[in-house]
Parts: sequence; C-alpha cells; structure tokens
Amino acid sequence: MSEVDRRRALVGAAGLALGGIATTQLLPEEMWVRDRRPPQSRVAILSALAYSEDLADSLTRAIRLFDLDLHNKSVLLKPNLVEYIAGVDVNTNPILVGAAAEAFIRLGAGGVVVGEGPGHQRDTYLVLIESGFDEQLRSQHIRFVDLNRDELVRVPTEANFTGLDHLWLPRTLLASDFVVSMPKVKTHHWAGVTLSMKNMFGVVPGSKYGWPKNLLHWKGIHRSILDICATVPLHFVIADGIVAMEGNGPLHGTHRHLGKVVLSDDPVAADFTCARLMGLHPERVWHLDHAARFLGNGSADRIALLAEGLPERVVPFNVLPQFAYLRMPVASR
Amino acid sequence: MVHVTAVGPTRESLTKPVRAILLMRVVELAMASGRLVAERVFGVLRARLNEDQAVYARRQLHQISVESYSLALLALRNDRGSEYIHALHALIAARNSDGSWPAFSGDDPQGCWATAMAVLALGAVRDRPADLGLGIRWLVDERGREANWFWRWKFQTVDNNVKFDPAKYGWSWIPGTTSWVIPTAFSLIALQKAKDGGLIPEPRFSERISMGVRMLLDRMCPGGGWNAGNSAAFGVAYTPYIDATAIALLSLRRHGHEPGVRASLSWLATQLPDCPSPYSLAWGLLAIAAYGRKNQTIDTAARATEALITALGNCAATLDMSTIATCALALEAIDGENVFRV
Repeated sequence: MSEVDRRRALVGAAGLALGGIATTQLLPEEMWVRDRRPPQSRVAILSALAYSEDLADSLTRAIRLFDLDLHNKSVLLKPNLVEYIAGVDVNTNPILVGAAAEAFIRLGAGGVVVGEGPGHQRDTYLVLIESGFDEQLRSQHIRFVDLNRDELVRVPTEANFTGLDHLWLPRTLLASDFVVSMPKVKTHHWAGVTLSMKNMFGVVPGSKYGWPKNLLHWKGIHRSILDICATVPLHFVIADGIVAMEGNGPLHGTHRHLGKVVLSDDPVAADFTCARLMGLHPERVWHLDHAARFLGNGSADRIALLAEGLPERVVPFNVLPQFAYLRMPVASR
Repeated sequence: MVHVTAVGPTRESLTKPVRAILLMRVVELAMASGRLVAERVFGVLRARLNEDQAVYARRQLHQISVESYSLALLALRNDRGSEYIHALHALIAARNSDGSWPAFSGDDPQGCWATAMAVLALGAVRDRPADLGLGIRWLVDERGREANWFWRWKFQTVDNNVKFDPAKYGWSWIPGTTSWVIPTAFSLIALQKAKDGGLIPEPRFSERISMGVRMLLDRMCPGGGWNAGNSAAFGVAYTPYIDATAIALLSLRRHGHEPGVRASLSWLATQLPDCPSPYSLAWGLLAIAAYGRKNQTIDTAARATEALITALGNCAATLDMSTIATCALALEAIDGENVFRV
C-alpha cells in the first residue's frame, strides 16, 4: 500500500470511528438496551375505601389473578418510607404493607421481609416507629431490613441513561426471589410523579451514595430511575392509592382520597395506570415515556386490566405549575 | 432501672438553687444508671466487632463500613483490646491510595464523606498512621459542587426552587455533588480537631472551617435546627431532624453565641427527651453534653439519658454497629468525656 493510500485508509477509519461515536451519542439511549417488554402486561385495580383488616383478603384474591408461582419464594416488600410528618400521609400505609405480607404468606411464599432505605432521614428506626411501621411489623413478626446499611454488591447497570456503569446494591434485595415495589401514589416536585419506578430510589444505599442519594439527582432523576429499574430485579407492584397525594409532593402536598390499590406484574404498566388514575398523561412524564420504549408496557392495548376498569371520569390531580402540561382534560383519561 | 424523672414537687414550684441541686442529683442518678448500661453497650459493640470479623473472614470478604468502624474505634479508644486492634487495622486497610476513605472496604476507590469520620477516629487514637495528613488534606481540598462558579451561577439564577446561598459551601456526601449538613458538620469537627491537635501544618484550615460554618448557618431551618441540607424548597420550610441538628451543633460549639445556634439548641432540648430512637437520642445527648451544664440542658440530658437507657433496653441487640458505638460514646459524654467536643 502506498503512503497516500495508507493515509486515506487511516483518515477513513478515523472518520468511521468518529461517526460511530456521534451516532451512539445522538440516537436515543433505549436503542442500546435490550427490549424486555412482555407481549402483554397485567394490571389489577382494586377499590378500597380505607386501610382496614379486609385488605389482606382483597390482596390475596387480587394476587391470585396473576397466577404467580410464589411457592417457598423469599419476598421483599419495598414500601415508600420517606420520613414522618405529623398529619400528612407521606409513606405507604403500614396496614397495606402488613396486608401484602399476609397475602404473600397465604399464597405460599417462604418468607416476607420489608426493606427500605429512606432518602433523607438517616435514623431509619425513628421513621419506622413514628410512621407506625415498627408496631405493624412487630405484630406480624415481619423482619425489616434497612437497605441504607445492608451489605453491598457491585452490579453492572443494564441501561446507560446516567453514564454510571455500575451500582452498589443491597445484598438483601439481590438475594430475594420476588421483589415488590409498594409506592404511595404521589405527585413529585422534581419528577412529576412518584410511583413504583421512582420508589426504587430507596434501594440505592445511603451508606454508599449519601442521604439524600444526591449523585442520582446530579445524574438526572428520570435517567437514574431508568438505570435503577433496568438493573434491579422488580417483579411486582402493589401501589397505595387509597390516600394519595397531589400538589407539592412527595412531602408537602395535600391528601387526595383516590380509594384505589393498583397491582401489576409490570412496573411500567403499573405506573402508566396510576398516572391515568391521577388524571395525568403518563407519556408526558420523561422516565415513563422512555421506560415504555424498552422496559415495560405503557400502551393501553398491551395492558390487560384483570379487575376493575379505569373510571370514566377523572378529576386530574393538582400539580405544581411547572407540571401543568401533565394534566389531562377532566373528561378524558 | 432508675427512673430519673421521678422528682416530687413540680418544676415550677422550686426555687432556682433548689432546682439546680435537684437537677444535678438527677444527672448523677442518670450517670450511675448510664454507666451500667454503657458496660452492656460496650459488650454488645465488642461482640458485634468479633462477629463481623468472623462472618466476613468465612466469606473471604471484609466489607467494613468506614463510618461504623470509625465510631467503634472512637468508642474503644481507651480499651485497646483485640476488637480495637481489629477496628484500627481494618480502617487503615480500607484507605484509598490518595489518603481518603471510601464508604466501605471494597468500594470504588474514590474518597467520600466517610474520610471525615476516619480522620476524626484515627486522629483521636495513639496508633494513628504517620501519613494521616493525606486524608486531612483531601478533606481540606474537597468541597461541594456549588463552590464552582458555574453551578453557583445556576443556583443563583435559573435553578432556585431550593432556598440556599450557593456562595456558602461545605462538604458533600460524595465528590461531584452539593454540600449537605452532616458531611459538612463531620468535616468541620475533623478539621477543627486536626488543627487544634497540630496534626499537620495546613494554612487553609481556618478558611475552610470558616466557610463550612457559614454554610451550616445558612442552611439552618427557620426557628432553628437542621434538615438534611436545606431550609426550604418550593416555598415550604423544612422541619429539622434530631441527628442532623445534633451533629451540626457539635461542629458549631465555638459559635454558641450565634442566635441560630442558641435557637437550634433550644429546639433540640425540647425534642430530645421524647425521641424513641437510640440513634437520634445518642447524637442529641452528645450535642447537649458538649454545650455544658445549664439548667435547661441538664434537665434535657437527664431525661434523654433515661430515654436512651429505656430504648437500649428494648433493642440494643438488634442495632447496627454505628448506632451501638454512638450510644456508647453518648453515655461516655454524659459521664464527662465527649470525643466530638471542639
């Protein structure tokens, strides 16, 4: 090969490499991750007027609709346990979590633990006591694991929205056979909504990432949600929408009695359904829109509603002004 | 158990001198009771260190939490038994090549807030490594992201939903993120102690400490106390946390004349005795003990000591190592020796 040809070949190769890099940067990230959307996702919407003893029976019946193999499986329930604010329903209700634990045991689970790593409050035990979780879990002999202080395992991320090539995750989470996200249905002043996917922020350990897990905010909340949910095993959702929160959530909003519990075998389908129940456009929430392109189903025709249907008329949740674009017109859903 | 609040006459009916004498007696009773509990807590801590060592040795892993081991080392600094030696060696072995500490052994080799804890612990023991100065200098160099002009400008102009003055910065949990209350407070205590102890000659000590103090005062909640990092967001004032308030107060002890510090101490004094959690009670007691013995704090100290003793009675065996060690240090502080006092 002559000197001129060699130079052309080198320039050509460099051009191809630069072109490749530019292409990977310009194309949407979800093009580079495995499409794991099931052909059909299942969601069950239950009406529940209050947090009561009956919930264990209702949940048992509803979970049966999914025909899950829970025999001898270790189940981790991950509620949204943020902090205690007197008079404000900030956290997933402990009665619902207790009912879910009871239901999974009835359905053959080998054991149930509850795990959470609160984002701001380092004194997890204080939050447990003040929120009523300690009493509830003790009465049912359910173990609680502080995911902020668990032993950690390095796990490569399975998506690349944040640029983080790995996350340190709690061993209890990774060792569980069946992980259930149990969010409180709320608006969120940074993310628009906080549902089953945003709830998984709580599995990222404070002992590594701090209180709050500020690195995830700097990497982008929506992007972090996608990387976490693509990486963390998440098998089921039971969302607490009995008393939800609207306005300046997730801490300082106002109560909204939605009277619903949403169950699903697909967190994306669960969150799309919850958003629709909130009267918000799910596809306008950045992380939900992107999650529906590779992680799970958002489209109504790929979500089978096993129990109740969506209500005909929904009064949209109040949101902060910067999220006004999320609200549906009153008549649609 | 001694119930130290069982004082006959009502508080209002007592004259000041009588009340002071009674309070001192109450504190003595609490201290006596506290010493008994402290022995048990130290026993649990030693057992936990032994258990930890055995578990991880069997798995051929040794994932130690730098925060927990730093607190354990501080608690056992006068003991110097085999558990102390284990904690000391494990802590030194976890150190990064640049002298900083990761959050736990085996973590990514990047320094983080735990460096302040390790520097504080190793600075307090006789067996400290000769090159501890590397860690101290890492702390001096480290700062919250808002210290950069670009992010400061962003927070001052377009990203201002959260109320804080980004010109005042402290320390972050991990590099590349903003300043938060607890890492800043621990860094201030570590640097103040390194400065006072003459551990290394470092001309930037005063400047960094001064900026950190200003950051903490800026992030204080309205009416006193500290939340995790900011005082308000989206127009809503945050409520303080006991642990963040206590740790911030420990770092600001030399600024007790500041109205905000006094208000925060008052807030803590009103909240602490009713707290049911050993972790918050222990940090609260450490702060109250550091601010000396005025009537209000003596009363709080006595009631909070009783609350801590009761709480430990319920759950000492199930607590994590950092909480056990903090409880041991708090009970020691009530008895007069406070490792966090600056």
